[in-house]
Amino acid sequence: MSAWWVVLRKELLDAFRDRRMVIVALVVMPLAVPLILAGMSSLGTKRQVEKLERTLDLPVIGAEHAPNLMAWLEAQDVRGVAPPADPDRAVRSQELEVVLRIDATFGDDWRAGRPARLELIYDSSRPLQSGATIARIRGLLEAYDSQVGTLRLIARGIHPAVVQPLLVGSRDVATPESRFDLAQQMLPYLLLLLAFIGGMQLAIDATAGERERQSLEPLLATPATRAAIISGKILATAAFTLLSVLVTLVMYRLAFALVPAERVDMSLAVPVDALGLLLLVILPVVLLGATVLTALAAFARSHREAQGYLPLLIFLPMLPTLYLMVSPVKTQAWMLAVPFLGQNQLILRILRREPIGLAEWAISLGSGFMLVAIVWLLAARLYHREQLAASG
Amino acid sequence: MIEVHSLHKSFPSRSGAIVAVDGVSFVARDGEITGLLGPNGAGKTTTLRMLYTLMQPDAGRVLVDGRDPAADAGDVRRRLGVLPDARGLYKRLTARENIVYFGRLHGLDAAVMAARIERLAAALGMQDFMDRRTEGFSQGQRTKTAIARALVHDPRNVLLDEPTNGLDVMTTRGLRQFLRELRAEGRCVLLSSHIMQEVAALCDRIVVIAQGHVVAQGTPDELRTRTGESNLEDAFVKLIGSEEGLFA
Repeated sequence: MSAWWVVLRKELLDAFRDRRMVIVALVVMPLAVPLILAGMSSLGTKRQVEKLERTLDLPVIGAEHAPNLMAWLEAQDVRGVAPPADPDRAVRSQELEVVLRIDATFGDDWRAGRPARLELIYDSSRPLQSGATIARIRGLLEAYDSQVGTLRLIARGIHPAVVQPLLVGSRDVATPESRFDLAQQMLPYLLLLLAFIGGMQLAIDATAGERERQSLEPLLATPATRAAIISGKILATAAFTLLSVLVTLVMYRLAFALVPAERVDMSLAVPVDALGLLLLVILPVVLLGATVLTALAAFARSHREAQGYLPLLIFLPMLPTLYLMVSPVKTQAWMLAVPFLGQNQLILRILRREPIGLAEWAISLGSGFMLVAIVWLLAARLYHREQLAASG
Repeated sequence: MIEVHSLHKSFPSRSGAIVAVDGVSFVARDGEITGLLGPNGAGKTTTLRMLYTLMQPDAGRVLVDGRDPAADAGDVRRRLGVLPDARGLYKRLTARENIVYFGRLHGLDAAVMAARIERLAAALGMQDFMDRRTEGFSQGQRTKTAIARALVHDPRNVLLDEPTNGLDVMTTRGLRQFLRELRAEGRCVLLSSHIMQEVAALCDRIVVIAQGHVVAQGTPDELRTRTGESNLEDAFVKLIGSEEGLFA
């Protein structure tokens, strides 16, 4: 038996006997991640459905000037209600999403065939909260406008097509899978974060913990080389993390089965046959995390010192997500070689069911494993330093 | 057999290098118990650490059974059973699992290891707690487990750094008896201690170290003759030049 294999087996046995570590890595994290996302998504989906379907109460100023318009809106499930005293303030303070104001001259203008004046009062800085309602009202008003306009033209013996030089049709090529909601945008980040630092507890326990408990010196007095020892510890951390990621993905899959996705024609779940691909994309990140954590923790004198690195490590996988938020560009080949950024892109594409070419796989996995190898060699070299064991 | 030829080791520090070991030479023979005696901070642990290849000497040479750790550290480590000063166990593993882990790292196969663990358990009186997790072990149980772990590969040479530290009287007696058995089996036993009674009771040869130097070596009788003191304790104090660190 190779020494690294002996170390790997012992570290896993040790880890699985640590009930707290097992519960956090294999129960709490895998449950928390999908439940948070599923909750977000379910809430979002429900609100969207409600907004589109329920009767809308629309505060109208001067409703008495346009009884026909009001009757037509009523037929479209929009009910006019009494306006607030100060509409601008009510909208700005989010009491109301939108207010319609009908001009006092509306009736005269209408009968004279002049453009009759309407005004929508809304706050464009809150597109998430009130965007759908505003779009709904605006769409209805435009429909009424074109309906009456067409009738007027026909009444004057003009073909409506005369004033319609363009006919713009639209065809949305988005597939159900590519139409994401916010919750699913979070998935790549959470997966990468879990892959990167999910093995933290084990890595710290196997290195800083080993020093703290004073079991490192006898270990280094065995014939096992230091490179083999640290490799066993890195691989144990990686194996444990991979298991945690896998359980999380399965839980995520189960959680999204509960979302009424068919109501908004979006497939939110991770396809079962994509689980393997996701794990393959994530594998270099798992190994990188295990190596970096082990290397860092090997030089910390205690659990506490090793945990001090945590905020920094949480920040790393966040960078590409932030970058993509600010600059949502098309995938370029070089991006696939950037750790986290590349994996983030590939995870999104797998979820969108877009094909990934062989060359793209090669770039992502090749650069990922190369980085792992470099950090690994560095960690093994550092582990040879004398101060490591002699600090006790 | 362990031969040590003018070992030197110093550590960097902010106020310049601290010389821990400064020209230590001695021989520990097979079938004998050799004691490194010196006050705390004399350089005993550092000397032992260079023997079991945890540290590289700045100068000088170590030979274990005639082999140089600088040439093949793995081979030398296989010939050594080491009980370091730091002797932590894995608390979520049982005593047996702790020992088996080290046996595997020494490349032992399961059958050989099982037989050897039985022998060690009997010799050290470990049968009662062999399959219990080591969390909550007494100091004596921990030391016994650490010794069994160090000797699972049946090494010819046994290094022990302050082996009786923190043990009660009965456990100390049992451990001394066990070390005499190792000697009777023809092994080379080298232990360090700052307690003169211990060294006097156990060792065939004594190497007295103070401030990184060997100040005297020989059998207890030789040391008594050399200092002209009939009491070994007085002889040690005379050799070391002060009583500092001896009664800690």
